Amino acid sequence: MKPFDYMQPKDIAEASAAWASYGASARLLAGGTDLSVALRHGKIATDLVIDLKGVVELQPDISESSGHLRISAGTTMTGLIAYLGAHGLFPSLVDAACVVGSIQIRNRATLAGNICNASPAADTVPVLAALDAFVEIYGPDGLRYRPVAAFIQGNRQIDLGTGELVAAVHIPLPLGKQGCAFDRITRRRGVDLATTNMGCLISGAGAVTLAFGAVSPRPLVLHDESGILGDPMAKAQDRAPVIEALTAQARPISDVRANADYRSAMLSVMAERSLAKAHARMAGGAAHA
Amino acid sequence: MPDTFHPHIAGPDRFGVTKTVRTIVNGVPVTKDTAAHTSLLDFLRDALELTGAKECCAVGECGACTVIMEGAPVNACLLLAVEAEGKAIETVEGLSSGGQLGTVQHSFLKCGGVQCGFCIPGMVMSAEALHRDNPDADETEIREALSGNLCRCGGYNRMFDAMRDAAGQDTHLTTTEPVTGKTIGANISRLGGVERVNGRQDFIADIDVAGMAHVKLVSLDTGRARIKRIDASAARAVPGVIDIVTAADLPDPMPRFGPAYRDRPVIAVGETRYHGEPVAAVVAESKDIAAYAASLVQVEFEALPAVTSIEAALAKDAPLVQDPAMREGDALADTNILKTMAWEWGDVDGVKADLVVDNTYTFPMVTHFAIEPHGFIVDAANDRLKIWSPVQHPFLLQKIMAQMFDLPLSDVQVLSPDPGGGFGGKQMPKFEPLLAYMSRKIGRPCRLILTLEETFQAVRRAGAKVHIRSGFSKDGDILFHDIRSDYQIGAYVDIAERVTTKGNYLACGPYRVPNARINARGIFSHTPPSTAFRGFGTPQVNWAVESQVNAAARQLGLDGFAIRMRNVSDKGDQVVPGDVPADGHWPQSVQKAADLLGWDKPKLPDRGRGIAVGIKAGATTGLSNSTVRLLADGSIILFAGTSDMGQGARTIFAQIAGDALGAPYDRVSVVMGDTSAVPFDLQTSASRSTVFMGTAITRACADIHAQVIELASNRLGVDECDLRVADGKIHLPDGPVPIFDFVQNMLSNWNGELIGHGRMSKPTDPDHPLGGTPAFFEFNCTAFEVSVDTQTGEVMIHRHVTVGDVGTALNPLQVEMQDEGAAIMGLGHALYEQILMDDDGRIRNLGAIDYRIVTSKDMPARLITGMVENADGPGPKGAKGVSEGAILCTAPALAAAVTDATGVAIRDLPLTPERIWRALQTQIDTEERGT
Repeated sequence: MKPFDYMQPKDIAEASAAWASYGASARLLAGGTDLSVALRHGKIATDLVIDLKGVVELQPDISESSGHLRISAGTTMTGLIAYLGAHGLFPSLVDAACVVGSIQIRNRATLAGNICNASPAADTVPVLAALDAFVEIYGPDGLRYRPVAAFIQGNRQIDLGTGELVAAVHIPLPLGKQGCAFDRITRRRGVDLATTNMGCLISGAGAVTLAFGAVSPRPLVLHDESGILGDPMAKAQDRAPVIEALTAQARPISDVRANADYRSAMLSVMAERSLAKAHARMAGGAAHA
Repeated sequence: MPDTFHPHIAGPDRFGVTKTVRTIVNGVPVTKDTAAHTSLLDFLRDALELTGAKECCAVGECGACTVIMEGAPVNACLLLAVEAEGKAIETVEGLSSGGQLGTVQHSFLKCGGVQCGFCIPGMVMSAEALHRDNPDADETEIREALSGNLCRCGGYNRMFDAMRDAAGQDTHLTTTEPVTGKTIGANISRLGGVERVNGRQDFIADIDVAGMAHVKLVSLDTGRARIKRIDASAARAVPGVIDIVTAADLPDPMPRFGPAYRDRPVIAVGETRYHGEPVAAVVAESKDIAAYAASLVQVEFEALPAVTSIEAALAKDAPLVQDPAMREGDALADTNILKTMAWEWGDVDGVKADLVVDNTYTFPMVTHFAIEPHGFIVDAANDRLKIWSPVQHPFLLQKIMAQMFDLPLSDVQVLSPDPGGGFGGKQMPKFEPLLAYMSRKIGRPCRLILTLEETFQAVRRAGAKVHIRSGFSKDGDILFHDIRSDYQIGAYVDIAERVTTKGNYLACGPYRVPNARINARGIFSHTPPSTAFRGFGTPQVNWAVESQVNAAARQLGLDGFAIRMRNVSDKGDQVVPGDVPADGHWPQSVQKAADLLGWDKPKLPDRGRGIAVGIKAGATTGLSNSTVRLLADGSIILFAGTSDMGQGARTIFAQIAGDALGAPYDRVSVVMGDTSAVPFDLQTSASRSTVFMGTAITRACADIHAQVIELASNRLGVDECDLRVADGKIHLPDGPVPIFDFVQNMLSNWNGELIGHGRMSKPTDPDHPLGGTPAFFEFNCTAFEVSVDTQTGEVMIHRHVTVGDVGTALNPLQVEMQDEGAAIMGLGHALYEQILMDDDGRIRNLGAIDYRIVTSKDMPARLITGMVENADGPGPKGAKGVSEGAILCTAPALAAAVTDATGVAIRDLPLTPERIWRALQTQIDTEERGT
């Protein structure tokens, strides 16, 4: 590993200024569960690590305001899981966050970091995409907001300009009932990277969004125009062609984890399972499910 | 904000940018300078000398480095030390105070959760965190909490027990303490166990030799390549770099070594033959300087066509892996075939079978994945060699090094710290010769600790392709097997020839097979050397043979249990004609496994059951010596050349000597791991140590018994004929007295001691295909009940039963722990494990992220271990070796259960969800080729 310098800015303006000044020769550090591996393996070499954990504006914090749940960039998966569990919010995001690595990883890894790492297999991303979550980006020119699905531009590529950093993740709080679910396919039950994964959202009006991970360089967000998937009484044989038509847009690759055809086939399996779970959650009446 | 960055501004003592860290470690405030890039793990281990936390995967997958920070378990390898600023850190060293183990530590030891101990410091930190947060955690929560910590020795189930024990609940089998009286047959607590749970056990990476320099290997990001030019100038310019060695710095011709063939170069010369073969090595003042400098070594190379599969290696015009010039006089020198072996009995072609089953099976290349990566320290600064290496055979390493460096054996000292898991991977020299040359060159001890990725590239298990035709009578009698086994070995032979031989010699398994033809070949490929690995060549061919038996049973309308009861050899029955017969009542094990599974009970409609058996030949030859010193106070020092790599040899030896000499277990001290101190032992392999070294110790104790009688006769004036020793007591005319008490009386004034020597030798038989008859067989029967998610291909294991024919369990808990460890390792290659190569000969899934082994969450819903004890083994009290049986037939038993549940038969391992799904998609079952 190439040695590097380290700084821990105290506030977001200082962090942004440092990041702007060093640009490509620096790296932002949040939980570090991805960055430290890349540094050690030489996949990334950097001159400077800017640790965001001292930034006062980014300290772990989850709050509800103006119809959103705002999750600060310093919030770990463990913190997120605890908050959502205690408040009965977004069980699908809890399910996704609970399979990000091991407990040791979740005690460090942040939700914002999971997004910014922009791995196509990131487990929280499809759920966030299905929930229409967006990131709050702080930069020299102030704040701007981008949907998670658009913020991730490709494999390991995100929409961050010079001096910009993600300050928080926002998830719209549902106005009424909704059902959401997360599902994934892995090679083993224990800690594993997803072969493919997905989030599914059924709105109170019955609109259905399916978001898939690890089947394209960026999250694949699909909307059911037929209305069939949102109908809890629809028959499986009616759902199948709809799901098939939607998932046909996926372009999975073959890699060390799976071949493309297996990934493709798993999309409808996951979709069926997620829809069933999302419908059940909606019927269960959890307002924020 | 930092000034312009200067990576080496601080000089070699302070590589990188110096930062001061203020933290609280185990309650003690610490202020210490470190480099900005230093991980918390390195900071704890190197700067604070808290070596409890271990490094294995370095990517946050294995958990060996787990510490508790601000109350939460974290991977110390993934944190920078500077991130711990102001935080409270707890390490394993902080869990015990005043020599008193913490609750969780104590429960781990008591419940048999500790084997080699390398994963334990991290594991107990995760366990401790759970115990504090949720002491009454249910099994799901326990499995989740421990799933970020990998163990390779055991089956995690003992750790689940430990968590329940820590919560005050009952667990089914625990150790016996305190120990008084006889210990054999009792679940005696592990000798060395306390050090393993409190983090004080020194593994190779924990050893600090004064003045040692640090080595990093340089290898290429390709498989086979011609090395054109190596430019180390940038690397040499890094302050703190001492030297850089390439082939040009070593003797010409390049020295080569190997246990059977001297074919492996000390460092690649001219050409690399596999992904990871080092072309240069950097030695520096610290490991991070060495690693950074190694990344700056520029190697100009030309990638060459590589053969990375059996098919490619055997193709017409395939590039030759080994230079024919190196195989002078070998008729196969212009092929990639190392050797062909053939055995035949009966008349395969003449037999008329009602059913012939004809299939081809494959077994993947897999890696040992001991949680401790390989490591070596060599001091060749003087005219002798001092080598620290956690090897399974210190004396073989000593011999090979003495030959290479032309030194008398007495000038080569091998110190072998307990391996953190071996499984065969820690046999045979690897980089000790390179380090010896480097140490000589720089005049300082040199240390090399491999990364897990480099460990994967060092050695592995042979993959295999087995074509087999099997004939059966309509009643299910096995009439013949016609087997053609190709074992994919690596670029250098290592011990692969013997693996291929020993595995295939017993290819027909534990059955009465009247006619057989076995042809086996070792096939070179541009892959890392294949070596010994638990089961030693048997799991590969047994996968094929046992799957054939299951296929035949299905076609004949028999079940897997019935066909085995019909054919399995009972004691005294033939196994290989002319060789030793079956040494156990094997049908008893098959029956017991079936009973434990509930084979005859109705099953749910989605469930499938499968069963399989296997045998492995125990050690065939070899010599084990032991010296036992009975001291004046009755305590004992026992010397054995065995390596305790988690199997618990030290415990068994102490039990044997303590019982034989009437001493309490805690008065026996076992010395291992120093060729200058302990007498010769061939090696720790083939599950031989209980039988061979155990017998040597028994005989050494008998030697002492004779001296005790002589002593009693002299002192008491009693005729020796009127004295005898039994059960650790000397029987005097007045009655029996424990030897422990007797010698305290007799020797206390004299201050002398009695020294006994014992040995077990099994000489070589040059006419036997294995060089000698097996000293014993390891027999196992494994059975499964599973269900399969037919949409995804995922397997759910409801019951996994393993039963071994163990002779006598000297320590039943340890026997079960070894059996479970083998079983779960077998589950690994049955379900997940495989080394995947790309077309350029690169390993695609190096390291812990994409090479999957069993985690706590992958454990079967129930793992049940049984054993059959008939005291019919050659070891002490009728013991047999036990550490490999349960890995022999895991895969075929599991596959049979999958077939039973789904109707599809799969002949390629591992049974990944994708592979099962694919088979279900096609539902083409080509096995039904019966005649």
